[in-house]
Amino acid sequence: MPRIGTDEWVEQQELRTEYYTGLTAPARRAFDRVGPGPRFLTFLAICALFPFLTDSPFLIRVGVNVLLFALLALGLNIVVGWAGLLDLGYVAFYGFGAYMYAWVSSGQFDIHLPTELAIPLVVTASALLGLLLGLPSWRLVGDYLAITTLFFAQIFVELALNLDRLQLPWMDEPLDLTGGPNGIPGIDRMDILGIELPGVRDYFFLLLIVFALVVIGLYYVNESRTGRGWRASREDPLAAELMTTPVNRLKLLAFAMGAAIAGLSGSIFAAVQTGVFPQNFEVVLLIMIYAALILGGAGSISGAILGAIIVASVPEILRTPENARFLFYAAAIAVLVATVRPWQRLAVVVAAVVAFGAVLYQLVALAWPVGVEGELTGGRFSGLLESWMVIPAENQELIGNIAFVLLVASVLTLTLLRGDARLMLLVPTLYLASFVWENRLIAQPSVTRQLLFGAILVAMMTRRPHGLLGTPRVENPV
Amino acid sequence: MRKSSFWLLLALIAALAIVAAGCGGDDDGDDEPAAQDTTAAETGEAEAVDCTASIGIMGPFTGDVAAIGQEQLNWAKFAIDQFNEERGTTFSLVEGDTQLDPAQAATVAPQFVSNSDIVAVVGPAGSQEVEAVGSIYGDAGIAFISPSATATNLTEDFDTFFRVVPTDADQGPTDATYMADELGAQNVLIIDDQSSYSTGLADSTTAALEEAGVTVSRESVSQDQTDFSGLVSSVADDTDVVFLPWQVAANAQLFGNQLAEQGKEAVIFGSDGLFSPDDFKIAGSYVSSFAPDITGLDDPAIQELVAAFEAEYGDFGTFGPPTYAATTVVMEAATAVCEDGEEPTREAILEQMPETNLSESILGQPITFTESGDIEDATFFIFQVGEDGSYELVQ
Amino acid sequence: MDFFVQQLVNGVTLGSVYALIALGYSMVYGILKLLNFAHGEVYMMGAFIGYFVLTGLGGASSPMLPVAPVLILMFLAAMLGAGLLGVVIERFAYRPLRDAPRIAPLISAIGVSFFLQASALLLFSAQFRTYNTPQLIPFSTGLEVGPLRISLVRMLVIGSSIFLMIALTLLVNRTRLGKAMRAVSYDREAAAMMGIDVDRVIVATFFIGSVLAGAAGVMVGLVFERVFHFMGFIAGLKGFTAAVIGGIGNIPGAMLGGLLIGLAEAFSSSYISSTFQNLIVFGILITVMLVRPSGLLGSPVLKKV
Repeated sequence: MPRIGTDEWVEQQELRTEYYTGLTAPARRAFDRVGPGPRFLTFLAICALFPFLTDSPFLIRVGVNVLLFALLALGLNIVVGWAGLLDLGYVAFYGFGAYMYAWVSSGQFDIHLPTELAIPLVVTASALLGLLLGLPSWRLVGDYLAITTLFFAQIFVELALNLDRLQLPWMDEPLDLTGGPNGIPGIDRMDILGIELPGVRDYFFLLLIVFALVVIGLYYVNESRTGRGWRASREDPLAAELMTTPVNRLKLLAFAMGAAIAGLSGSIFAAVQTGVFPQNFEVVLLIMIYAALILGGAGSISGAILGAIIVASVPEILRTPENARFLFYAAAIAVLVATVRPWQRLAVVVAAVVAFGAVLYQLVALAWPVGVEGELTGGRFSGLLESWMVIPAENQELIGNIAFVLLVASVLTLTLLRGDARLMLLVPTLYLASFVWENRLIAQPSVTRQLLFGAILVAMMTRRPHGLLGTPRVENPV
Repeated sequence: MRKSSFWLLLALIAALAIVAAGCGGDDDGDDEPAAQDTTAAETGEAEAVDCTASIGIMGPFTGDVAAIGQEQLNWAKFAIDQFNEERGTTFSLVEGDTQLDPAQAATVAPQFVSNSDIVAVVGPAGSQEVEAVGSIYGDAGIAFISPSATATNLTEDFDTFFRVVPTDADQGPTDATYMADELGAQNVLIIDDQSSYSTGLADSTTAALEEAGVTVSRESVSQDQTDFSGLVSSVADDTDVVFLPWQVAANAQLFGNQLAEQGKEAVIFGSDGLFSPDDFKIAGSYVSSFAPDITGLDDPAIQELVAAFEAEYGDFGTFGPPTYAATTVVMEAATAVCEDGEEPTREAILEQMPETNLSESILGQPITFTESGDIEDATFFIFQVGEDGSYELVQ
Repeated sequence: MDFFVQQLVNGVTLGSVYALIALGYSMVYGILKLLNFAHGEVYMMGAFIGYFVLTGLGGASSPMLPVAPVLILMFLAAMLGAGLLGVVIERFAYRPLRDAPRIAPLISAIGVSFFLQASALLLFSAQFRTYNTPQLIPFSTGLEVGPLRISLVRMLVIGSSIFLMIALTLLVNRTRLGKAMRAVSYDREAAAMMGIDVDRVIVATFFIGSVLAGAAGVMVGLVFERVFHFMGFIAGLKGFTAAVIGGIGNIPGAMLGGLLIGLAEAFSSSYISSTFQNLIVFGILITVMLVRPSGLLGSPVLKKV
């Protein structure tokens, strides 16, 4: 929590001398002692090892997605985290970079620029576009800027959808700029300085290099006068202006830099997917990037990276249905272990849940036999759950739905209770959660993904509003 | 939650998840019986065939077109259950949600590729998604068959791609001919819904109509549009037919209602996306479909299937039955491989698919493939909607 | 001329729905400086509740009660349900974030929005539901002035929105609760010091905003008939836009913003082209924002030095 009245430096010192205990203590002390440079290098080294640890093209593809996301989050971090401008049109730069790369490296206009020329061209063009779209920030503040930038994002998608039949007066045939809803397929593979990049794995390494360069660059920018200027204009634009900080120019610079990074990642995205389509750049993606940034902590580079890792990989992890049951119960137990202390209490809770389930199963078997005749979806541990989980054979959907609503209500009530009452409600809630899972959710992994993702966002935000690695800030009270 | 335990928790979950995700693809898992039995003992008996495989299905199961995706998914599940019951096989389905987004499709595809249980894929649903995943499946040698991607070039571009629906190049001229000849239309307004299915079909129909000497005007709306009144009021009074190659039948129902509300006389002609007796019921309009209305078919076997499906899953429109057909094609191919005494691997199924020769299918027509993977003898059927909302075959 | 009036009616119908949604956004923003992205999903739930009430009463083709009580029941159920949902959301997703940086409740709202959408998908399936209004209230009923036709449903929608907006204005300007709401939106701490129960006022604001959204949901169901799980997302975006255009935090501004967007949509799709409808609307809105940076009726934010 922010301690008002304490000097920031003093506070940092105090934190540094905090005694670490436990197994991870030596590692954490070493981690603290070492500067940001070596820390980042270790991180990079681990990432670089990643493609060698696994054969699965799926995981590498997820890795590529994560890196793209991280780049986007870093770019957005400049605009939102450092300069404090609410930019809801960020995906437009991403899309513009992708489409522009498609224009100069595909069969659309039959221009096939070498990659060494194409990428700088795309980056410069995106930066210019960023300058252009940053101009409204001179007049608009806060939510009004947000809405205007949102318009730009929507306009971009509309243009991408409709500019395939552009009838210019001096041309006979309509001009096909964007391929309309079909997008632009068949984009060339990248070819940098003679090194061809045919596979997803090669793009992973390219992205890693780009990512490293961007992070290092951003770190130094943040430490420089520009970074300080951004911080000043974010906290109090009027005071900053009076202190001769060129607030307007800094805003434009923030937009331009963010756009440049987005354009760069857009071009790599286009090359990886070998095609660009308007659906790739809709508002949903923007929301995910924002979620990543805020979750990780806006204003912090490592926060942006961590947030991106979480937001890009969690939906993919939640996608594997075979291990879904294993994951579900493992996660449930992990959460219990972390929240219910000491371990004796935890043991009691687990035992109570098992007992509750067994008793309930027997009761239902007696009173309403149809209630237990349903089939468990096969998979790991299904044998274990046989006599514990009530699976109705009829009306499974309806009962599951009602149970779902009850579950939500009971989880919410849990947050209101304290102490023993909380533990007592926890037991039936856990059983109810398993019930809903086995009866409804396990059969619909796609919907469950979205449910869990939303729930995780809410839970994380209410517990740590400043994000995982962000610093707690006190905003200007209105 | 204290800071240290929080991090530990996070790290633990992350580690578990990575391990699970990594293992999930590669090992066979305890849930599938690992044995891929040969069926040498079963020669002569067409009944219980011992055949086990996983079939992947890609589609928009969440997101704004989830209605289409869920229908496809339900029919695929239904197909698997029916087939397993009838033939004693043990096929299973693996879902991959793409939300009709090519980027997500390009992430699901490698996942399916690395899952060694999956021998073939049903889907993806959208033509752009096929563009995005075509080379991935092509390189991996996996057959994939789409129940709804209609862009004409797809089967040419990708070797391992098949489909059970005719292309835009087939539907456009059929509809155009009907409009020009039977309906005697002179002025047709074509409104597409900015999806790739829609624009492709609209273009092919425009070309065919203009060749027949009909005046064509084009408009376009977004699928998300709430209100069509503005568009409806701009429909000229001398428009004979409004052609709607839309994906969302409910939108067309509203459009039709608003046409009536504003007293416009134009007749609506819809493509197969509108074929949905529950959602689209504007009396006097026409709908084309590549299958006769399976609910109106004489075949009792098909009616039984329809009744069984409705009992379990409820209503359906036009995107479901082709998915059933596509899944059945895959399963037939796999079973044929098993009956020959071989394991249903990806290569075997890919080789078997072009030989598919189903003399009857839920679509009421036989299914065989052309060289490139399109369905042979694709014909379109035209229906008229009656006063009570029922569909009547007119061609 | 009648064409113009027809479009006017269409625009006002659409606009009043957007205005109702925008009002919820504006009210919540005024009090909490929070953009409640989950508001669209509340609207969607209201539409579904109305649908289920209608189906429960026999459906549009054979209702068990005469038309008027059916409609009233639908509205009441949807409004109450939506209001309760809004209150629950506030209590669990926003209240813990009262003093957090502004962007945190935004992400929480996004999480709620995803959760509600997925819940709707789970509970109601992805099928489109229709209110089937022409069965309930045939097209022939309504006003006919020459070639101009205004159906009863549209008049109903416009009428009820006007009624609700007037009720809201009276509430905000004439009642004690309204005064408390205005006070809290000026200065939360000072209002608390003056003995106003800030929590209660906030709950009341959310309730009222969500009630309006629920009513909007039923109206959309009646006029535009389609109810599906994704409708909240789109309507939410438009409502949010309307609220900001009119000057966020400003109640008459929200109404004006909604009407402006509805009219822009109706006129651009009929006079110009449906293809570019969205582009034109966005263009108009950007121009408005650039010309009046704090919204049409918004007051420029004063910075205290």
